[in-house]
Amino acid sequence: MNDDLSHRHSAFRFHGSWLEFARIAFPNLLLTIVTLGIYRFWATTREREYLWSKTEFIDERLEWTGKGIELFVGFVMAFLLIGLPLIVIQLISQGLIFRGESILAVVMTLMMFLLLFYLTGVAYFRALRYRLSRTYWRGIRGGSDDPGFQYGLAYMWKSVVGWLPIFLGVPWSMISLWNDRWNAMSFGPHRFSATAEWKPLMKRYLLFYLVPFLLFIGAVVFGISMAASGGTPGTLGSTGIAIGAIFAIVGVLSFYLFLPLAALAYYSKYFRLAVGGLRLHNLEFDFRARAPDWILFFLSNMAIVICTLGIGYIFMPYRNWKFFIDHMEAYGEINIDDLTQSETVVAKHGEGLLDAFDVGAI
Amino acid sequence: MSAFFDAGHYDGKSAVRRKVEVQIIGRQFFLLETERRHGPFAFSDIEYVTHKDDADVYGLKEADGWRLMLSGPVPSDLSAMLPARRNYGGWVDRLGFGKAAVAFTLASAAAVAVVLLSPQWLAPLIPSSVDEKLGDALVGDFGGRFCSTPAGDAALKKLVASLDANPSDLQVEVAKIDMVNAVALPGGKVILFDGLVKQARSPDEVAGVLAHEIGHVREKHVMQALLRQMGLAVVLGGIDGNSGALVNNLLSMSYSRESEAEADAHSMKALGGANISPIGTASFFDRLSKMDGSASSSTSENGIAGYMSSHPLSRSRKDAFEKSIVKGKNYKPALTPAEWTELKTMCTQDRNAKSGFGFDFN
Repeated sequence: MNDDLSHRHSAFRFHGSWLEFARIAFPNLLLTIVTLGIYRFWATTREREYLWSKTEFIDERLEWTGKGIELFVGFVMAFLLIGLPLIVIQLISQGLIFRGESILAVVMTLMMFLLLFYLTGVAYFRALRYRLSRTYWRGIRGGSDDPGFQYGLAYMWKSVVGWLPIFLGVPWSMISLWNDRWNAMSFGPHRFSATAEWKPLMKRYLLFYLVPFLLFIGAVVFGISMAASGGTPGTLGSTGIAIGAIFAIVGVLSFYLFLPLAALAYYSKYFRLAVGGLRLHNLEFDFRARAPDWILFFLSNMAIVICTLGIGYIFMPYRNWKFFIDHMEAYGEINIDDLTQSETVVAKHGEGLLDAFDVGAI
Repeated sequence: MSAFFDAGHYDGKSAVRRKVEVQIIGRQFFLLETERRHGPFAFSDIEYVTHKDDADVYGLKEADGWRLMLSGPVPSDLSAMLPARRNYGGWVDRLGFGKAAVAFTLASAAAVAVVLLSPQWLAPLIPSSVDEKLGDALVGDFGGRFCSTPAGDAALKKLVASLDANPSDLQVEVAKIDMVNAVALPGGKVILFDGLVKQARSPDEVAGVLAHEIGHVREKHVMQALLRQMGLAVVLGGIDGNSGALVNNLLSMSYSRESEAEADAHSMKALGGANISPIGTASFFDRLSKMDGSASSSTSENGIAGYMSSHPLSRSRKDAFEKSIVKGKNYKPALTPAEWTELKTMCTQDRNAKSGFGFDFN
């Protein structure tokens, strides 16, 4: 039984509706409030159950089998393993400062930051592993046997190497870490292979990187040309001042406008390259959203949140997932008979670390 | 024995979708394919997984990826054997949404109440050795910032002895820090900042503030505040999962209004017992409350803001001290002019004491 995907609509299709999602999101919000936030783990699970079940890959829906209690246990573990020691270390270093042992306090604080840095990397890895191991398609799931401790080290040194050359290595570290993460993952019997390249990303990154400089240069050129044309705004009278003020406002606005836009343009390219480099056996993946799609998505998200005075925020998981699935594409073929169950271990707890650090999805 | 048509099945071993009939035999069932029979499976091992498309999806305990998908009207003899649908998660489904929301609200209110009230009951149960160790760990020798001269120490000792019946388990120090503030810390430690002593116009003022801080120690407010702050951090930590906020909460420890009132009452009683006029303390509060809030906050390093921020001021506190004056009573000054001069100049005389914090505290 072979599915040839090349002559069909996208292999990924999303069938959800925001009205249906609202019937999940609003009760979730209420229950989260009255439980002082504890219900949010079950809330997340319900939302994922809905989103996954409305996502069709080829001819079958996905299943989310994660449990709220897993996320809750993960959170409690993160609190006990990180939260409490953090408080204790904070208290001790406070005491050390009072005692005048500032150097020891600084060393301890530094160690704490290093540990957090390392655990953030591990958390990214384990969150992806958890999500794959709870995602079923045709009764088959994904996962990884790698606990992610090595990845935590890679995350540290690659991030630092990316920052060292005045942040010019960031595209390399992002792509390289993406590849590291996905190369450790599998679905069914097949290992993912991630071979995204970072060099094609550099042009976009430089655009983002140079926006502040370009704006500054633009302002300087504008100032010089004003001076050269024989008048500072003052000599042109009140209209001149008004024009000058308008330009100043436009200048500030464009800084706050262009920088996020350039960041989105970069991220769009990053995600396209990263997903494009992904392979699972005979399947190849593609992410079709381009910079204008991301910008439109981002602006409409902002508009929704602002126009609903913040309530619209509860629809963000829905919008994110829909955007993701709507632009995902897969090519190639799957041999259903070869797609056997994953042998990877199943971790008993959820994204505790990631949840504790409040870092986002995928 | 009955058969049910139109069921989908994944065995969890491969991704092949099977069309099966469900054959019920007592508490067990078989899944019949055209030429194969799967089972028997026990209904007691069946778990509800999710709802997808138009089908309810069931799993089998200990069988990874095993799925039975039932769509359309399910015969009553089969549905009677199957586990109930899960909607919100265990507890909420059992109680119903409305009842669960009310129950959670009550439980949350109770949890917050316990956290707010229990420190008063728990604080006396903490052994004083723990209290002392915590105080030592936190303060130590305060980085060598405690001032000491023989005459100054004697004056301070006399002041403390006049205000408290058991001065031996208190450790009162003057720290060479130019802030108008005084703090009570675990282990019976009270620290007067040199800035407060210097700006005081009479020893009676210092006596009032000192008696107030001793009041915090004697009423066990210090441990109470610590416990309350930690408890709140744990209960409310669920809301955003931000461990940083937790630490901040802990560090911004402050006393409740009731505690402040109790400490004031303790101070007035101690002043009365020592025959020291409360008018000095009243005028100290008067000077503080006349300070413009914005002006004082900008000079927080040397100004009054330090005391203001940790001791909420109101005219009523000043009035309370004024009212506690007993007319016709023969008040004595808290210290002789010579002793007062020694206490006031103690930090100037002691050249060994380090000054300030040595770093930016904010």
